[in-house]
Amino acid sequence: MKMGENIEQNDKPFNIAIVGLGGQGVITLTKLIASTSFGLGKKVCFNEIHGLSQRGGSVQSLIRLNEAHNPIFAAEDVDLVIGMEKLETIRYLYLAKKANPRVIMTNKYDIRSTHDLGLVTFPDEQEIDKEIARYASEVYLFDALGYEENFKGKFKPLNVPVFAILTTFPELGLPEKESKELVLDYLGRNMFIRQINKKAFEEGPKWLKKLEGSS
Amino acid sequence: MTVDKDLKRSSEEKETQLLMGNRAVVQGLLEAKVGLTTAYPGTPSTEIQMLLYRLSQKGQLYFEFSVNEKVAFEIAGAAAMSGVRSAVIMKHVGMNVASDPLMALSYFGVIGGMVVIVVDDPGCLSSQNEQDSRFWGKFAHLPILEPSTSQEVKDTIVKAFELSEKYNMIFFVRMTNYTALNTSEVEKVVIEEKMKRDGHFVKDVKYLIPARYIYHKELHGKLLAIGEDPVFQSFNELKFSDSASDKLVITQGAIYPMVEYARNYVGVDVPILKVSAIHPFSEKQIVSLLKRFKYVYFIEELETYIEDEITSIIGKHNLNIKVFGKNKLGIPQENRLPPDLMLHPFKLIASDPDDEQTWNFKLPESSPYPQVFERDGLLIPRTLPRLCDGCSHRGAFQSIKQAVKADYILPSDIGCYALGQVSPIEIGDFWLCMGASIGTAIGHSLVHKKPVIAIIGDGTFFHAGIPPLIDAVLYDHNITVAILNNRLTAMTGGQPSPSSTVKKAENQNEIDIEQVVRGIGVKWVKSVAAENVQENTKLLKEAIEYEGPAVMIFSGNCVVELLRHNFDLGQAPYVDQEACIYCGICYIDFACPSIVKKDGRIEIREETCTACNICVDVCPHDAIIARKKT
Repeated sequence: MKMGENIEQNDKPFNIAIVGLGGQGVITLTKLIASTSFGLGKKVCFNEIHGLSQRGGSVQSLIRLNEAHNPIFAAEDVDLVIGMEKLETIRYLYLAKKANPRVIMTNKYDIRSTHDLGLVTFPDEQEIDKEIARYASEVYLFDALGYEENFKGKFKPLNVPVFAILTTFPELGLPEKESKELVLDYLGRNMFIRQINKKAFEEGPKWLKKLEGSS
Repeated sequence: MTVDKDLKRSSEEKETQLLMGNRAVVQGLLEAKVGLTTAYPGTPSTEIQMLLYRLSQKGQLYFEFSVNEKVAFEIAGAAAMSGVRSAVIMKHVGMNVASDPLMALSYFGVIGGMVVIVVDDPGCLSSQNEQDSRFWGKFAHLPILEPSTSQEVKDTIVKAFELSEKYNMIFFVRMTNYTALNTSEVEKVVIEEKMKRDGHFVKDVKYLIPARYIYHKELHGKLLAIGEDPVFQSFNELKFSDSASDKLVITQGAIYPMVEYARNYVGVDVPILKVSAIHPFSEKQIVSLLKRFKYVYFIEELETYIEDEITSIIGKHNLNIKVFGKNKLGIPQENRLPPDLMLHPFKLIASDPDDEQTWNFKLPESSPYPQVFERDGLLIPRTLPRLCDGCSHRGAFQSIKQAVKADYILPSDIGCYALGQVSPIEIGDFWLCMGASIGTAIGHSLVHKKPVIAIIGDGTFFHAGIPPLIDAVLYDHNITVAILNNRLTAMTGGQPSPSSTVKKAENQNEIDIEQVVRGIGVKWVKSVAAENVQENTKLLKEAIEYEGPAVMIFSGNCVVELLRHNFDLGQAPYVDQEACIYCGICYIDFACPSIVKKDGRIEIREETCTACNICVDVCPHDAIIARKKT
C-alpha cells in the first residue's frame, strides 16, 4: 500500500506527534525519525515529554521535519499523529480535532489492571476507533498484535515496524532503502540485534490496513 | 533498548550534531574547560548530570553527585574561590537548598569562573512546584542568562564563564524543561583533553570581616557595569527588526522559538524583543530599544518578571508607550506556555489596541498539555504512573498498609515512593520537599494522639532527613520512620546514592543507613528485606507501639537497575485457581500491575512479571505459587 501519493514533497515543516506509554519505544521512534532525517541532510528538531514514563505514565514527543529550532507546534497544526496505544491516541486527537490530521495507530489497548478497580470505566475499543475516525482524515491501523504473534523470538520491536511504515509516506522524505540502512546502523552493529530489526522493518508495512469508516 | 548516541552529520563546512539542550550544556562545560562539577539529581536536569558522571568515570573531569545541593554548591564554590572553573547543576527546587551558601558567596565573588545551571519545571512535570528561578538574580544580586536553543545553550555557557571571570561574579544559566529537553542542531566540537583542577587559594582578610555591607555595595556597582557590557547586552536581540510596525512583542529566551512560531503561524508583522539577559537590565539599552514603538506586549512563561522590570523602566523614563501585560492578553501565569496559548494573544496583537472591542473577548478553550479526560461523553481515563512491576518496595507498602489504621498520619517524601500515595496503593498523606516527612512527622506527633509514620527513601534521607531525625532523638519525639532503601536515586533514572552497593562511582564508599541511625542514638532500629511482607508487618506494628523514635529500614534493590544487568529475573509464579477466593488483596491492595483480572479470574502476566514473588507472601490463601528458580 502506498500512502499520500498525491501529496508533493516540499520544504514546509511537517509536524508529527507521537503518543504512547512508557516502554513502548516512543522516544526511540522519535530518535529514529530524527536521526534518519538528519542523516539525509534535512533540518529537524524534537521535544520529548516523559515526566514519569518509566513508571508507565503517558509519553508524548513532538517532532518537526524541515524546522531547525522549535519542535513544539500548536495542536491544530499537527500533520500526523502516531499512536502507539489507543487511549493515548484518542486523548491526543481530542486536542487536535480542528487539524484533521492523518493517523497511524497500533491496535494495542492497554487497560492497566491497577486502574481497573471498578472506579474507572474504560471505553469500548470499537467506540475509540469510531471517535478516532471522526477526528482524523485518514486512519491507518498497524496490527501490532498480529505482528507480535507472528514475530518469532523474545524481542519484538514495536517502533522499528512503525518507522518502516513511515518510509512509505513520500511527504516525509524518508526513502525506504536509505532509511533502512541508517536506522539499522543507528540501532547498533550487533549482528543479532541488526537481524531482528531488519526483519521487523520488513514486516511493518505488511500489517498495515486502512481503518474502516475513515475517509 | 536505550539509544543514547549522538546524532551527527558532516558537511563541507562544518560537522554538526543533534543535541538535547541538557547535553549541549555538557558541550559548553567542556569547551569552557571546567575543572570541577557537582550536582544533585533532579529532573529535568538529569541528563546533564548523567553525562558528566560518565565523563568523570573516564577521568575527563571531576564530577560528583553530592549529598545535596547545598553541599554541591559549597564544593564548587570553594573551587572557584581558588581559581578553578566550576559548575553546579540542579533543578529549580535545588536552589532553595543551595541558597544559603550562595547568598554569602555572592558577596565575595569568585576568582575562577563559576556558573550555576538551574533547570526550571513549568507545569510541574516532575516537581513539587514550578517556582521561577529568574527571581534569584535580583535576590542574590547575580546575573542570569537564559538561552533558547541547544546551540545557544552551549554558547551561553562558554560566554557565562568568560563574563564570570571578568567580573568575579557567579553567573546563573537558567533553562526550562523546554530548552533542556528539546533536541536541535549544534556545531560539533570534540574535546578529549583532561580538565585540570589546580587551585590556588589566596588568603584575604575580606573573607573574615563582619561589615559585609561593603561587598553588598560593591555588588550593586558590578551589576550596573555588567548591564552596560556589550557582550552581556548582546544576549538581548531585536528580531524581525525590519518590520515597520509601531508594536513590539517582548519575550524571554526560554520560550522565544515558540513565540516566533506563533507569530508566523498567526501571521502578524511585528518585531519581537528576545530578552536572554534576564538580570540585570540596562535601562539605557531598554530605552534605546523601545524608543521607536508605541505599543508593547509581553509574552512570558510563569511570572510577570520581564514585564515588571521593563514596565518600571518605561515609567521611570516617561516613555510614551502603551503597555499590554500578559494578563491583559489572557496568558496564564501558571503551567507551561505552549504555542496553543499564544495564538489568541497574537490575534489580539494584530488588532487595533485603541479599540475597546479588541479587549472584550472570551478566552478560547485550549489546554496547555495534552491530557484530556472527557469530550462528547466519551471518558478517557487518566494514565497514572505507578510503582514498577517487581518493585520490592511494593512489599514495604503492603506491610505499612497492613500495620496502620485509617486515621494514622503518614507524611511522605520525594522519590519513587511518592507513587505509593496515589491510587491504588494510597499510602502517604502529603509530600512537601526533600526530607520534610520526618520534620512534619514530629510536628504532627506533637499535636495529635494518633500514630505518625514518616515514609522516606534512602537518597532523600541522606539529603535532608538526618537533621530532623536528630531532633526526634533529642526530644524523644514519638514517631516511626520507614526508610525505603532501594540503594539508588531511582526516580530520576538511577543515579548512585550514598547507600548504593552496586552502582556507584569509582572511589565511592557505601554508607550504611543503620549505622547512621544508630549513631544518632535511635534505640529501636530494624533492618529488613522489603519483600518479607508478613514478618515486616509484625515488626512495624511493634515500632508504632514503641514510645519514642523508631526506625525501620526496608531494603530491596531497584528493579529497573536489576533489569539493566539481567533481563531475565526468573519465571513468574502462577495462581492456583482452586485455592483463589477472589478476595482482591493481591489485585486491589497490593496492586502489582502484573496481576490481572481476565474473564473473572486472577492471573499473572508473564511478559511483565519479574518473579519477585512478593505476591506469594501477600496472598493469605496460599493461592499464588512460586515456581522453582531455573
